[in-house]
Amino acid sequence: MNLILHNVPAIHWALAGGAIAAITLTLLFVSNRRLGISTGFEDVCSLVLDAPYFRRSAVVDARGWRLPFLGGLVLGGVLSAVLSGGWAPTWDLGMFDTVIGGGPMVKVAWMFVGGLFIGFGTRLAGGCTSGHGIFGLSNLEMPSLISTVSFMGAGLITTNLIYRVIF
Amino acid sequence: MLLVYVILGTLFGLVLSRSGAADYNFIQGMFLLTNFQLYGIIGAAVAVTAPGLYLLKRYGRTLSGAPISIELKPLHRGNVTGGILFGIGWSITGMCPGPILVNIGEGKIYALAALAGALVGAAIFGVGYPAIAKPLGLPALARGTGDG
Repeated sequence: MNLILHNVPAIHWALAGGAIAAITLTLLFVSNRRLGISTGFEDVCSLVLDAPYFRRSAVVDARGWRLPFLGGLVLGGVLSAVLSGGWAPTWDLGMFDTVIGGGPMVKVAWMFVGGLFIGFGTRLAGGCTSGHGIFGLSNLEMPSLISTVSFMGAGLITTNLIYRVIF
Repeated sequence: MLLVYVILGTLFGLVLSRSGAADYNFIQGMFLLTNFQLYGIIGAAVAVTAPGLYLLKRYGRTLSGAPISIELKPLHRGNVTGGILFGIGWSITGMCPGPILVNIGEGKIYALAALAGALVGAAIFGVGYPAIAKPLGLPALARGTGDG
């Protein structure tokens, strides 16, 4: 299976996993920070919201590394598109287009609702695939094992409901 | 240091993009158990990070010479309920938090809607924390649910 992006083949999983490990360990080495993306949503919220939760030092103090890191993720996506055939805005959504279908407004609504689950859920769980799944599991933390089993299980059930039951 | 974080983020984004970790079809294939690329990526990442972390904590120091200090995440009921909600969202969008930003970079327009939803979801969670902490079994506000 190739990527949706320009239909290029994916790099080998072992290379990707090794690179992610190297980035995770480098981040810890240079800045004493544990990898984790989802708190970045709180960092962004803390720029405009004044609720006590967003004034915690854990949120405010981490903005200095996490916001530039998040910006880098966007740049990485741009670079990837440029290197694999050129950057262009697109609505392509792979098997969603062939099985479910729908125009831009359907996709915007679908993605916004999914995003609500991601934003609320990751913060309720205290982490996402990176913070719990990669760093937490590697650090042998029980909350991360519980969270990872929970989100993998829920994803398995939801996708099977969407693609094998409903559509 | 700012540049270091941007570069690390860019490399991470590039890897997520080119490996399938930010690809809708690969994520659905993982959950349908028809494609094992993502299990390989996460498994390999943990298999290399775990011994690296152990060695760095035991024998290493940070670049500035400080001992490695990792704040552990608290254990609470939100690990299960939040994990379930996030898993549903990951399945619906085909993106977890990092890949939302990667997809925006790639030019996938709908990823902007996923980011908007995620920010609104996190805002509702943070603003509502004092009200939901007790019924949902969460740590005190100062501690939070876990960072990362």
